[in-house]
Amino acid sequence: MPKIDNPLLLSFYAHYVDKILSETSNIDEANQKLRDLGHEIGQQIYLNTEIVEKTKDSVTTREDVSKLIDVVYRILYGKKPDDVDMKTARGSVRISDKACVWCQEVSLEGMRGFGYCEIFSGILETILEFKGVDAKVFQEMSRATGAEVCTWNVRLG
Amino acid sequence: MSSKDLERALSKLRFDDQVLGYSLMTKVGRPFVSFAFPDDLFPRVKDSIKLYKKDLRLMTIDTDKGLVVLSPVDENWILTVLYVPELQLGLAIAKTKNVLRLLEGIELPPPPEEFEESSEENLQVLDSIAINASAVEETPAAPDTPDTAPKVVSAPVEELAPKDFNVSSSTIPERGPQYSTSLTLDSELNSEMKTAHRNFGFDVLMLVDGALSVEKIADSMFQPTDRVIDLLKWCAVRGIIVVPRTAEGSDDSTESGGAGSMGRYVKCPKFEGDLGKVSGDDIAIIRLCDGKNTPEQIAEATSLPMPKIMQTLAKYRKSGLKMIGRTIK
Repeated sequence: MPKIDNPLLLSFYAHYVDKILSETSNIDEANQKLRDLGHEIGQQIYLNTEIVEKTKDSVTTREDVSKLIDVVYRILYGKKPDDVDMKTARGSVRISDKACVWCQEVSLEGMRGFGYCEIFSGILETILEFKGVDAKVFQEMSRATGAEVCTWNVRLG
Repeated sequence: MSSKDLERALSKLRFDDQVLGYSLMTKVGRPFVSFAFPDDLFPRVKDSIKLYKKDLRLMTIDTDKGLVVLSPVDENWILTVLYVPELQLGLAIAKTKNVLRLLEGIELPPPPEEFEESSEENLQVLDSIAINASAVEETPAAPDTPDTAPKVVSAPVEELAPKDFNVSSSTIPERGPQYSTSLTLDSELNSEMKTAHRNFGFDVLMLVDGALSVEKIADSMFQPTDRVIDLLKWCAVRGIIVVPRTAEGSDDSTESGGAGSMGRYVKCPKFEGDLGKVSGDDIAIIRLCDGKNTPEQIAEATSLPMPKIMQTLAKYRKSGLKMIGRTIK
């Protein structure tokens, strides 16, 4: 049997993804809907967790953003991201996760471009927004569609 | 001319992954040397050649097997190449032109009166004709080179293929102009349908009334939706039924996350383990787990209740059964 972390969360999320995919007509729209879902629960997360206490009041530099991402990861998933890359591209930060919780045991075929874990983009975007950081987050690759790692791009405005 | 040069030019096609097959044909469309070209496409190609006779330039035909590009090599020969369906038209034409360029330096003698179609040995036959010809009349005056021919791309003949039609489980097919002909015994269309689909075509068509959706038709026949969809597309091509056409440019939803219709999202079990380890009772179910059938379709096909299917799928999760998410048209 495949080993799954947090099966309750996973089942809920799979249910939402299925529903969104059945209601949208293209991949971009589905990605956006998943990000919107993330925006909605991002508020809950911001209110109910220690993210506020554990992070600086003003997040300004890319290093600050990277630290905030580490905190979000620890609080949401109890681990660190595999990589937070600030060097490769100016004005953006790339997060890599080899064992992302959202897409465990999910394999999709012929759905290139679909960000299965886009919900995290929405969550992070909202948390950053509340911290006063203007950023766009989107998923670049997902293990669900065959990539080795899940990656998100945080584009700072 | 040496058969070696011709072989070299043709081998470019043979080792191209995007080429499914090719045939060097006479000007009347008889296959002379062929490689993996589906036999059932020859009549269609021949018809197209007949239609254009002398005026044949570069021409493309969309078939359910792929994209066929026809191009005259000289006044006696036509090169016909079948490319994979997903290849862009422009690329297919460019690839064909590349081979034509290789053939340009080669003087092909006219085909012999009698030959066995599509035979490999024909290359040698051609060789010996060439040798005989040159022995008799020394070097013949340079024949008018056909370089005007392949340069112009004439408008492709619009032929509809099954993929041009947009049929999903919620589509409601309507009867088309050929509907009654297809159901008339002894009509050509009826026998064509019989050959291709046996009585399945007849059974589905009886349920096409402009009110029932594809899903309802499939359900009431206890048949997989995909099978019904395939048949309906076949019928749509021939005007037997009417369904919506695929909108231009929207047929490739995988293109870099671009827009386009996604179809229906389903999850299909796929067994990647060792079939030898599947117990006899479960094999009928597991065998259908090819990543293309939904659990519901497997239940239909095996006439087993859904709980039984789910129990069995769960049982094999530890030995290589995965659920694959995909969108179906």
